[in-house]
Amino acid sequence: MKKRNMLKSKRRQSELSYHAMMLPGMIFLLIFSYIPMFGLVMAFQDFVPAKGILGSHWAGWKHFKYMIALPDIRLLVRNTVVIALGKIIIGTAMAILFAILLNEIKNRLLKKSVQTIVYLPHFLSWVVLASVVVNFFNLDGSVNQLLAGLGFEKLNFLGSNRLFQPLLIGTDVWKEFGYNSIVYLAAITAIDPGLHEAAAIDGASWRKRVWHITLPGMMPIILLMAAMNLSSILSAGFDQVYNLYSPMVYETGDILDTYVYRMGLISRQYSFGTAVGLLKSIIGMALMLGSNGLARKFADRKIF
Amino acid sequence: MWNKKLWKSAMALALALTMALSAAACGKDGDKTPDSNPQGQQDNPGALEGAQDNADPFGAYEETVTCTLGRRTQQNPKLPEGDSYEENAYMSWVEDRFNVALTNAFESTDGEDYERQVALAISSEELPDMMTVDRATLEELVENDMLADLTTSYENYATDYIKDIYDSYEGRCLGSATFDGRLMALPTTSPDSAPSQVWIRQDWLDQLNIQLDTDGNSCITREELEMTAKEFLAKDPGGNGNPVGIAFTYDMNAGDNLEMQAISCSFGAFQKKWFQKEDGTVYNGSTTPQMKEALAYMNKLFTEGILDPQFGTRTWDDITALMTNGQTGIIFGVWHIPDWLLSNIKAMDPKASFTSFALEDGNGKVNVFHGDPAGNYVVVRKGYEHPELAVKMINLFHDERVTSKTLEQDAPEVYKYEQLGVDGSVRPLPVEINSNVSLLNDYSAIMKCVNGEADLEEMPTLEAKNMVGHIQRYNEDPNTTDVIDWSRYHSRTKGIQLIQNLTDNGSFAWVSPLYLGTTETMKSSGANLDKLEAETFIKMIIGEEPIDHFDSFVEQWNAQGGAAICEELAEKAQ
Repeated sequence: MKKRNMLKSKRRQSELSYHAMMLPGMIFLLIFSYIPMFGLVMAFQDFVPAKGILGSHWAGWKHFKYMIALPDIRLLVRNTVVIALGKIIIGTAMAILFAILLNEIKNRLLKKSVQTIVYLPHFLSWVVLASVVVNFFNLDGSVNQLLAGLGFEKLNFLGSNRLFQPLLIGTDVWKEFGYNSIVYLAAITAIDPGLHEAAAIDGASWRKRVWHITLPGMMPIILLMAAMNLSSILSAGFDQVYNLYSPMVYETGDILDTYVYRMGLISRQYSFGTAVGLLKSIIGMALMLGSNGLARKFADRKIF
Repeated sequence: MWNKKLWKSAMALALALTMALSAAACGKDGDKTPDSNPQGQQDNPGALEGAQDNADPFGAYEETVTCTLGRRTQQNPKLPEGDSYEENAYMSWVEDRFNVALTNAFESTDGEDYERQVALAISSEELPDMMTVDRATLEELVENDMLADLTTSYENYATDYIKDIYDSYEGRCLGSATFDGRLMALPTTSPDSAPSQVWIRQDWLDQLNIQLDTDGNSCITREELEMTAKEFLAKDPGGNGNPVGIAFTYDMNAGDNLEMQAISCSFGAFQKKWFQKEDGTVYNGSTTPQMKEALAYMNKLFTEGILDPQFGTRTWDDITALMTNGQTGIIFGVWHIPDWLLSNIKAMDPKASFTSFALEDGNGKVNVFHGDPAGNYVVVRKGYEHPELAVKMINLFHDERVTSKTLEQDAPEVYKYEQLGVDGSVRPLPVEINSNVSLLNDYSAIMKCVNGEADLEEMPTLEAKNMVGHIQRYNEDPNTTDVIDWSRYHSRTKGIQLIQNLTDNGSFAWVSPLYLGTTETMKSSGANLDKLEAETFIKMIIGEEPIDHFDSFVEQWNAQGGAAICEELAEKAQ
């Protein structure tokens, strides 16, 4: 009994340094993620900056009711979800496919350089990339010149409600798939090569091995990433949309974040902005917990 | 630009944090100043102090006074190399003259970026000692009791010259900054700048031998406008290979530069302006049948290819590029647009020259609306010890700087700035204060001098004196490569001359919109109505929606808060 206690305290001591290392991160989290949560009270107030949170008038559910009654709310939610889902699904599929293909490249130098090249766009901000996209896709841009050269009609990508969402999804996938593939590459390398060797000896083709070994081996990570991504389903990428949209494509391009931005900071409706942000977080959390539950039930895999 | 990136995470975290902090800050304030302090009583220690030293409008402080400023910056302030918004001749003039130390609390590009900075400053309760804000922000600040009362500072310190200027607006200007009888801000004056004009490349007209305004009334008809655009499109005088007829930005804010204002006005439609009928009810110009006609006309221009085929997605920068590339030679803008936008074209193409016209309606009249007599407002943070410093700075820049005959000796650096045409935004308080009749008065004085009928020393202001020099130099050599001479010549002898001609001919048909600030429903539904209007109008113009859709737009507009705003304004107007 005594011995065990001693062991325990010894272990605690040896772990102390690790806990100390975690401390800055935890403090950071506390200051920037937990303390600000008290500000969420604003969502239930008619917040006036000068009066502060303690002095502002209580408004109850007013801002939530107003939000639900907004004439455009369905449109905004639909646009947000469609764009976000498109990015998640196509983006994930591309990243997985890319990781599998990249893993097949045996030449180290080629592999590394391809990898670096596709990571690069991730590190550029949308403010910069947006002007690149505009230059490519406007009526005088190279894409349209190519179309015209091939005898097709020119397409107004940035001003067409039919093409704007595909443009957003496509350019986002292009920007992010390389970077997102890192985690899948790591998952592939974690698969026991013995399985592949055994299957190859049994005569399984490359395609069969990918299907029956690589993909199932990656499944826990894929599920984890999907669940994490689902929590951001109501965030369709403010920086990208804001830098590319115009009133012409409000119908398909205006998302919750851009609307709240125009409403919240430009017209200074702080409480309303907070209410929308809060609702987004709640829905995101519910989706994440829900997907975790589903994964446990059907795939018998726990994410957290 | 990082601000845009910041926003996304700021929504969930930073803003909430700011709020939390501001709550804390508020708690502290509450401890320091008990609420029993009546407003306006303790705000003016400076005024008392001033009364002791006989309120010298240009007096220096005995001990150095510090003052922090919120600055709105411009892209191209024409500062000499090495100078900045924080360190320049204007700033040091104030510092040396009054014994103060000026620092910038923040610097931000005029427009959305600046408004966002102000919004953040307000929400974090860290106002700079002085800054300029728009009307809505002023109201918000007053409502929240965050501003110093300037009534006594203005009374005691403003020079007679400054007071005369404000009085030329018959109370409309100062009145808009007065709340419950207290002056809470010093308004920028905006003399009526009259219509959005049509600036056409004169060198292209000459090249293609096009005669405009054959009846000599300084106006062109819509037919003449279309004809010119078609000629420019067909013959591509810019030689770019990809000409564009008329380009507008997608903003649809009803602004007077690079927007359709002149076209709407020629139909008697005053987009986004509020008007009161005789029976007291209020309506918005965007919802009138005239607006529908204007949109139908724009749709016609679009279908005929006269309007830029990419209308609806063009930004301001895109259009600037179209102009400097020589793709478009028809630009809509106010009289001073040569000074800050068309000058870019001259810099790229030394042959460029412009003539400006007004767009007339069917009866040969030019429809214009009176502007808001006050634009921006200089505000002083509540609790700042020297609110009168704001008035003193106004005296310095808008009395002494413009009226002094000895500026060249007294403040050579400042004088040099005037000669260089350095942008007014680099002054500590970026405001313009001019009498309501100053535009045409100063102009006629300038032209008298240019024509040799008056002496240079008789010029009312230093600016007028400089202007004479610019115009004379341009007249001597119209092919000059000096962009400033070129732009001053154009803004005056084309832009203001046009206003002069129209005034002399009695061609203007003036209307007076209501300027009553914001209302509750404007705050909650304004963004939504703006969205509805911009989206619908653009779609109607490019033909995605039929013109008859306008009627259901008006219904929606009313239902989504427009009608409520009209009622609120009617109440306010009584």
